Amino acid sequence: MTGTDTPAHRAWLRDLRDAFVYPLTSNGRLLTTGIATGVTYVVLVLSTFPQFSVQVLTRDPTDLAYAVTALTREVYLGTGWLGIGLVAAYALLTGVAVTNAVALVRRARRTGASTLAGIVPGLLAAGCASCGAGVLGALGFVGAMAVLPFEGNLLRIGGIALLAIFLGRAGDPRTCSIDPT
Amino acid sequence: MEPEDNITRRRALLAGGGTIAFGGAVAYFASRSESDEQEYVPDTFHTSEKTTGFGVELAGRPIVGEPSAPVDVYYWTDYLCPFCKRFETETLPDVGRDYVDAGEARVITLSYPNIGEYSTPSAVWGRCVWEQVADNDPAAFWRWHGAAFDAQSESGHDWADEETFTSITEQTESVSVADVDACRQERGDAIRESIDTDAATAQSAGIRGTPGFVLYNRESDAAGKIVGAQPYDNFADALDRIREA
Repeated sequence: MTGTDTPAHRAWLRDLRDAFVYPLTSNGRLLTTGIATGVTYVVLVLSTFPQFSVQVLTRDPTDLAYAVTALTREVYLGTGWLGIGLVAAYALLTGVAVTNAVALVRRARRTGASTLAGIVPGLLAAGCASCGAGVLGALGFVGAMAVLPFEGNLLRIGGIALLAIFLGRAGDPRTCSIDPT
Repeated sequence: MEPEDNITRRRALLAGGGTIAFGGAVAYFASRSESDEQEYVPDTFHTSEKTTGFGVELAGRPIVGEPSAPVDVYYWTDYLCPFCKRFETETLPDVGRDYVDAGEARVITLSYPNIGEYSTPSAVWGRCVWEQVADNDPAAFWRWHGAAFDAQSESGHDWADEETFTSITEQTESVSVADVDACRQERGDAIRESIDTDAATAQSAGIRGTPGFVLYNRESDAAGKIVGAQPYDNFADALDRIREA
């Protein structure tokens, strides 16, 4: 890519817009997006202090709301509005990505495995980039978030960028994308 | 029934409203400060030079409660840790009233610097304040300790520096900044070593973040672990179980 307004760049932006619009095309898709967003947010927030989350939830699963609200406050106090905003944005993007991935997987089943092979690495890469800090915590690196650049915000931005690239590449999952030449 | 695969105005509004509600809920819980903030100043304090059956060195560490209390609560903390502040203001006052002041448990404050650059220096401040007041006015340490957590700011760890901790110390009655400074200069290395010992004990106990706790029944040698600012009921249950163990 040589400039910011190349045909490939424009096509990517158009595909990204199409990818965001796809969940609005049926009630089921909208519901899937909503649920995936909520679940992703809960998992991301709980993974910021895995040992605490596991202890609270194994003792009483109804304390989920306590754990999520307490850790939401901790993420904000530790990383500021940018950190908590990135977590929320990542959850929302994942909601859209999961809905679109479901459609892609269904299409891939009909048309062959090549598309499926194309989306799985994208999802895995984005997921790992975002929750990596939580995984570090689970592995026993105390203060993992604090030692990461910008207290983990760089990692979160990386995850969001990967997801956006994935969504822009796939576009509307009902259509095949043809790269402009 | 609306046609499938169409973007209806209703769905667009629903998606927009849902996104705003999601963002609003996150912002609400992020900015909601602890409502029932209390400060706990214990009734009884003591010092000890022993090492407990669990392997925790007590020399120089602030201890609250009766020496004869059957349960030890090892409390690893960091003055820069917001989750520790939540424990201090929401749970510790009730645990203190129901268990420490009642002679059922004693709390040993240990350092586990893990949040920011000033975590270790702030722990050294704490130890030096305790050294100055442990014999004559131990409650002064808890006033200082509470003021240090009160000083935490809403954004980042930049608030924690020499200036802030000097000012907290100056404002705490019965604590001399000059004496605390002398302790930091002369005994700094030894105190940092003992802070490393605390952190190593936490790691070997499997504590992976602050606040972290080990509850230990000194008679039966039974121990249990609690991590994070959990609700009071969780602490009360765990303390009851360890006491009976």
